Amino acid sequence: MEFGASKALTMGIELELQILNRRDCDLTLGAADLIRVVERTGHPGDIKPEITESMIEISTGIHERYDTALAELRAIRDALVAAAEKLNLLVAGGGAHPFQRWNERQIFDKPRFRQISALYGYLAKQFTIFGQHVHIGCPDGDTAMYLTHAMSRYIPHFIALAASSPYHQGTDTSFDSSRLNAVYAFPLSGRAPVLDRWDDFVAYFEKMRRAKVVESMKDFYWDIRPKPEFGTIEVRVFDTPLTVDKAAALAAYVQALARYLLIERPVAIQEDMYLAYTYNRFQACRFGLEGLMIDPTTHEHRPLHEDIVATVAQLAIHADELESAAALRLISGWASGRANDASWMRGHFERSESLADLMWQTSQLWSGSL
Amino acid sequence: MDPFQFLPAWPLAVPPLAWVAVLLLAAILAGEAVRRYLRVSRIVGYLAVGALLGPSVGGVVDSGTVGQLRIFVDIAVGMLLFELGQRIDLSWLRRNPSLLAASVLEAALTFVLVYLAMSWFGMRPVTATAAGLLAVATSPAVVMTVIKDLRAQGQVTERVMLFTALNTAYAVIGLSLMVGWLHFESERTLATKVLHPLYLVGGSLALAGLIAVVMLSLLRLFGRRPAFQFSATVALVLLTVAAATMLKLSVPLALLLLGVFGRLFDRERHFVSLKFGETAMLFIVLLFALTGASLDFTGWTAALPVAAAFIVARLVGKTLPILLLANASGLALRKSALVGLALTPMSGLSLLILHELLLRSPPLAGEIGAAMFLTITVLAFAGPLATEFALRRATEAAEETR
Repeated sequence: MEFGASKALTMGIELELQILNRRDCDLTLGAADLIRVVERTGHPGDIKPEITESMIEISTGIHERYDTALAELRAIRDALVAAAEKLNLLVAGGGAHPFQRWNERQIFDKPRFRQISALYGYLAKQFTIFGQHVHIGCPDGDTAMYLTHAMSRYIPHFIALAASSPYHQGTDTSFDSSRLNAVYAFPLSGRAPVLDRWDDFVAYFEKMRRAKVVESMKDFYWDIRPKPEFGTIEVRVFDTPLTVDKAAALAAYVQALARYLLIERPVAIQEDMYLAYTYNRFQACRFGLEGLMIDPTTHEHRPLHEDIVATVAQLAIHADELESAAALRLISGWASGRANDASWMRGHFERSESLADLMWQTSQLWSGSL
Repeated sequence: MDPFQFLPAWPLAVPPLAWVAVLLLAAILAGEAVRRYLRVSRIVGYLAVGALLGPSVGGVVDSGTVGQLRIFVDIAVGMLLFELGQRIDLSWLRRNPSLLAASVLEAALTFVLVYLAMSWFGMRPVTATAAGLLAVATSPAVVMTVIKDLRAQGQVTERVMLFTALNTAYAVIGLSLMVGWLHFESERTLATKVLHPLYLVGGSLALAGLIAVVMLSLLRLFGRRPAFQFSATVALVLLTVAAATMLKLSVPLALLLLGVFGRLFDRERHFVSLKFGETAMLFIVLLFALTGASLDFTGWTAALPVAAAFIVARLVGKTLPILLLANASGLALRKSALVGLALTPMSGLSLLILHELLLRSPPLAGEIGAAMFLTITVLAFAGPLATEFALRRATEAAEETR
């Protein structure tokens, strides 16, 4: 398995989105018709079906800069929203639909999706959850392996900042990100094995494949995984945020962290990096920015929002180099204000007591008209 | 002295209520049977049982009993019209004007083609006009029942609901005007010609708006318990039927508008998912069983060519404009054809309107009667099958769950 090198620190963004009806804002079938209309009108980036007919995935091209990535995301969004209007549909962000019933979902008609559905049964339909994936370009496989592991310390940051799935099956889960609980039900979720050389990773992958545990890299649902065909690492823990602006800022945060990690090489790859990993991840899912974070090297405890503000301060020079200081100011502001999308959603539901109305507002926020 | 006088007299006098029970049970059984063994819409089973037991064939359920059960039909049709109104979004027409064009053209072409076909068979203009108007409306009851039964969702489903609501509105306005026109034939003035449609539409709008406001305040007052919502909505639907009848407004139009306003005024979307799931089943079964009982199976062979021409003209009239505007409205040709096909069910309302029309104007009866009754009978059975087929082929039906 060759690692297809790409330019270091370039980024690409993928967002999985919800397709809703305009009546009660429940998920509805519409991906195929929506893609047909949007393909005819033309749009930047890429728009693809996902596992169920209620989901659609948009992705940007390769970007070096935050502002161009943001502009492309906005253009894709506008094209998609226009097509949705024509078909009486709504498009929305958010990590999970708050009141959909999983047994009403319909699997998109494509062989791979049908295989997954046959293998995972109800999990495949419960997997009607929506995430953001951020790709960061790496010049070679060893760099990718270093970045995969060094980035793991910041996974709780990403979870807490992006969390937007507090409601599931009609109730408040008390988690800020309930979506990740659905991901962790899959047997091959979690993290990559602690290997810092690409050759060792390839050997591990070949062993897994010979043992028929996996068929391809796609079968690993890790929080961060190398993506050899793109020459990137892929961060997969984000809930899809409620706006494209937040999605672009989060990607810029990952990019700045990658620059810091690759230039300063602040840590060495070892098993102990993962000492507090599942604890921190749980804290971030459950309590969001108020969660507690244990530093894997210093063992120091502090709230996630403080750790994020401190990290952003540390990244200042890298953000300047990448010209993404504006994005990092947003990140720092959200952290210090302890405001993520989950808290926005809870605040809105407290006022209206209607989950349907919450999804309506969410779709308006997504389309940029709120 | 008869020591056994406490026993009932022989032969037993079976009260009509027993036949209603038989009708209901037989219809439910037949509905399940056709679903399980023929894999088609339950409606076909209900209709068949109604037809077999009804006055025209078995005579077990006579027309007097059918009349007594009219209240169930009113509730069922009322609820379904209300629900259809609630499910459509008129702002869609603004966001996708091709749909409005398709709807108007679909209704207009259906009317014109059926009118021409009927004229060709020698009907007088007034009769052909009535036939053309009856052809315009798709049955809201059949469409809604099939959609709910299949838990269908998607573009085809949405468009079928939109076109059904609109063509029902066009047809009932047209037919009400025509009934009025026949009624006042002698003393027709320009004033009545202009004011009657205005009263009909304006009055129905005002009535529906008023009752929608009452409905939402009541729901807000009593909270969101589904059982309460169901009873309250039934009551208000009946109130709408009664008030519209009393004021000589259009009952179907008022009910559709009640649904539209009910949704429009619900700003925070508290009641958008108001559904009449299992509780409404009883009404639906009786609706179609009684529709079956009122079907007429006499004078078939003579009427066959006229009925065939009617059905073909109607299918072409409904499908062609939708196909022509497929691309402009953003739906593939294949799915657009399925939308046209799904509009086949002919309204049970047309049966009521037809009866009314025949009462008002006996000379019409001879010309239009047999052919229309045959058409209605054929489409009563073919309609649900066509809608179900279309929604399944569009893969918009949910998988069968037990």
